[in-house]
Amino acid sequence: MKRGHIIALGVFIALILLVSLGITFVGKVPMTTDVRPLGLFYLKNSYFGNYAARSPEVVTSILWDYRGLDTLFETGVFFLAIISALALFRIEKKEEKVKEKGEGFTFIVKDTVRIISVLIVAVSAAIALHGHLTPGGGFQGGSALAVVPLLIIVAFSKYALEERGLTKDTAMIVRSIGLISIIILVLIPLAAGGYLMQNLPVFPSHIFGQLTSGSLVFYNLFEYIAVGAGFTAVFLLLSIPEKVFHEILGGEKE
Amino acid sequence: MIEMFLWALVLVSLMATLVISIYGIVVRPSLIKKLIALTILTDSANLFAIMIGYRLIYPVIPPVLPQRTQEGLSKLIASSVDPLPQALVITAVVIGMAVNVLIAFAIIQIYRIYGTTDVRKIAEVMTDGKAQ
Repeated sequence: MKRGHIIALGVFIALILLVSLGITFVGKVPMTTDVRPLGLFYLKNSYFGNYAARSPEVVTSILWDYRGLDTLFETGVFFLAIISALALFRIEKKEEKVKEKGEGFTFIVKDTVRIISVLIVAVSAAIALHGHLTPGGGFQGGSALAVVPLLIIVAFSKYALEERGLTKDTAMIVRSIGLISIIILVLIPLAAGGYLMQNLPVFPSHIFGQLTSGSLVFYNLFEYIAVGAGFTAVFLLLSIPEKVFHEILGGEKE
Repeated sequence: MIEMFLWALVLVSLMATLVISIYGIVVRPSLIKKLIALTILTDSANLFAIMIGYRLIYPVIPPVLPQRTQEGLSKLIASSVDPLPQALVITAVVIGMAVNVLIAFAIIQIYRIYGTTDVRKIAEVMTDGKAQ
């Protein structure tokens, strides 16, 4: 670090402290101690009340019930972003296996990954399926699930996944199944004579005595599948060796 | 008073982080550093949204019913944070992650084609290509 940098940093920190002191003395700090009326409505109605989603987790009931259309279109943006990323890395011809040198990691790394992958799958499924009871949900669980293929790619190789059938194409198919199921879930209430994305009178709030909060648990499950498979496809594409791309791009770069 | 000062300090630091990240996006020539600054910008904007929903009271709990009874509901209303900003932020986080993946893929492809992530050099290479 140069001397000028240290002085600049010091001035910056002093400025922040001074400005916050100034705001404090003027007394214009926005400090809320109450919930806003809209938030209060959600808190009151999430489990009890006439507009209930029957979910003790208020955030999930907002996410997939009260403001469900927001989340639906957000899933659409997610779909488009992943699709465009895949289009950027498109390889037309069939990819050949690049020969690996050496033996890879020691058995310590490989066995640890074997054990931990199973644990991560279990934990991520718990995060996703308990999304209507505890903090968590489809996105969080799906992101946690995508760590498993990433770990396997690092510890073994990309080909270890592809030889067992988890190629980019299968990941895309699984993801499409998840997204299509979400669209079907959105349309079911219309067929039953309700509104788009309606939750409770259409879907049962308890299944076999277990609280499922209507459609929330299904939305979380399919979002979990879609997000996990989408990120798996991304990681598989990112781990294609550079050599393959050099051949395709035709030696434009030395 | 000290509570107010600390809260103001957090707010001002967040604003400073926003300004620094905008500086990074505009001034830094490397595309990778622009992407890093962009992620800092989205994260601090999300933190702002979360802080709007925060309540400055002492026993503050997340918006999850502690017990599924009327007592639990009154406890929730008395001390829970605002759930709406959290629900908006979780969608923003996921969209941000997908868009970051897209930008990262584009940067990797640009590096493969031009051999650099410096915007000035890329502009040079592109204008040279036009002249030929």
